[in-house]
Amino acid sequence: MMSSISMDNSRLMPRAKLYKYIAWLLMFLVLILLPYFITNPFYQRLVTEILIYGLLAMSLDVILGYTGLLSFMHAAYMGIAAYTVGIFVVYVDAQASLWFTFLLGVTVVILIAWPVGWLQVRTGGFAFALLTIAFGMMYYTLVWKSRDITGGDDGLFGITRPTIAIGDWVLGSTSNPVDVYYFTLCVVAICFFLTKRIMQSPFGAVLESIRENEKRAAFIGVNVRRYKLQAWILACALAGVCGVLFTYLKGSVSPTMMDASAGGSVLMMTLLGGLGTLWGSFVGAGLFIFGQDYISTMTEHWMIFMGLAVMLLVIFMPAGAAGLVNRFITKSKD
Amino acid sequence: MDGHIFIVQTVLNCLVLGGLFFLIAIGLNIIYGISRVINIAHGSLYALGAYFGYTLVATGLNFMFALILAPLMVAIVGIVIERVILLPTRDRPMVYTLILTYGLMVFMDGLLKYIWGDQILFIHPPDFLSESLTIAGVPYPFYRFFILMATVASMASLYMLIEKTKVGIIMRAASTIPEMVYSLGIDMKLVHVGVFAFGCALAGLGGIIAGPLFTVYPMMGGEMLISCFVVLVVGGLGSIKGVTLAALLIGTVQTLGFVFITDYAMVIVYVMMALILLFMPKGILGEGKFE
Repeated sequence: MMSSISMDNSRLMPRAKLYKYIAWLLMFLVLILLPYFITNPFYQRLVTEILIYGLLAMSLDVILGYTGLLSFMHAAYMGIAAYTVGIFVVYVDAQASLWFTFLLGVTVVILIAWPVGWLQVRTGGFAFALLTIAFGMMYYTLVWKSRDITGGDDGLFGITRPTIAIGDWVLGSTSNPVDVYYFTLCVVAICFFLTKRIMQSPFGAVLESIRENEKRAAFIGVNVRRYKLQAWILACALAGVCGVLFTYLKGSVSPTMMDASAGGSVLMMTLLGGLGTLWGSFVGAGLFIFGQDYISTMTEHWMIFMGLAVMLLVIFMPAGAAGLVNRFITKSKD
Repeated sequence: MDGHIFIVQTVLNCLVLGGLFFLIAIGLNIIYGISRVINIAHGSLYALGAYFGYTLVATGLNFMFALILAPLMVAIVGIVIERVILLPTRDRPMVYTLILTYGLMVFMDGLLKYIWGDQILFIHPPDFLSESLTIAGVPYPFYRFFILMATVASMASLYMLIEKTKVGIIMRAASTIPEMVYSLGIDMKLVHVGVFAFGCALAGLGGIIAGPLFTVYPMMGGEMLISCFVVLVVGGLGSIKGVTLAALLIGTVQTLGFVFITDYAMVIVYVMMALILLFMPKGILGEGKFE
């Protein structure tokens, strides 16, 4: 079932491969020139948000689409990084450099995700999914109730936005939407290609074998728990990157970015894009965020439509948007 | 003397919350045991029971009748859900069912907000339930005692159903080898839908019972769902005795937590769950059937 979802590159014909490269090139050109077409700062920020959430959905794809582990609260790890950076900048050092806070946010996420993941991979299937909810709600409760430090449900404000600089070479400021967009684009592109490379390596193949049949993978000598833990930490570290980017995009952190509905939204983006493709997650994030933006201008009861959309999607289109494109590619080669 | 009152009341409160957890979690557990489906929308069905109860009581129906009618209405909703959503996707991997029922939860929560609004609603129990009575020399609200009695009664009838009747035999057999039950000429589709409706009815009953105690609001389903997941993991998925014990345990820890540490009570519950999973991965009785 799941194997038919993932794209098999080796079976593509040379011409299809050429089309693929052209498509990639065109997409990058569009992404680089985008701020010249969209001059409204609101939409520039919205597009940046899509890139960040696309990366988050992609990191969920690493554990869900490739390894077959379901996390309902993946956004919580993004929230941890965001709060770490926010609290550090507000209380400790307002002049902290961008790179240092990046390192700090991702390190804290890894330090938390490691023991939690170690515990979670001891179970599988349902229990794993239930545990992600329990731990996610625990982080949320802690943030929500520690009003003195995190600002509770009001959120954390007054986060100074640093300049984007390499050494003394200043590239821009994170308070400028266009600069943030390009910075986010670079970070997201690096993370994307790095993850793609990792997933095409033997490590990625092992993860897929665990997804297809855990018992058989164990029989041929794979340490299933260790690989699951590594995939989990990779996904959480990527979520941490998203958290740091998001903090500087917004200049504030709010607990709604790590509650249960935020976790569910990320899941929907991944699903909407299609499992096991990585790039599909970005399409899913785009559809979701624009869709939500559009529906919420018409009605405040967007939850009804969102829930309905998820159910219809799972029943009628389990392979997501990427599945449609892949079906098109397979057809065109015949 | 104050200490005595406090102890008796706290013990009873622990039992009340534990009993409520039992009602909701056991439904999830039975459905999982037979259909291998975790219904994420189970909390929303609990909320639906409370809202149905509110409407029935608000239209002037006797609370006692509402107590029977609301669970039946939730069961009907459950039958529709099983037929329309779960039946066509029964052969899919478990991830799909989880996401599907997650979508159902979002949909139902949105619908509850649309129909009944965001505000907190109150169910008024009949007068004789609003009085207080004296247990071991300590005054105690009669309604809480009533909840305790109702959960004990449902617990007892559930055990009778599962251990002593033919329906119970089919249910126990279907949870071990469904193919064998099917080949013996029992309609498994009927078993699946029946069990699902039964679990939903229990959730609905829990909802209307909890309504007067905790008030009725849209988020109540989500909160209960998360507590029930903790109960299921601690007790072991698929183990009825384990879940019964775990419901009382979590009810106790949560009640004591709210008494002594208030804000971070839930954190203690989650940490306890993590520890139990670490040392007893199949639940406290080691009977869990995790997949």
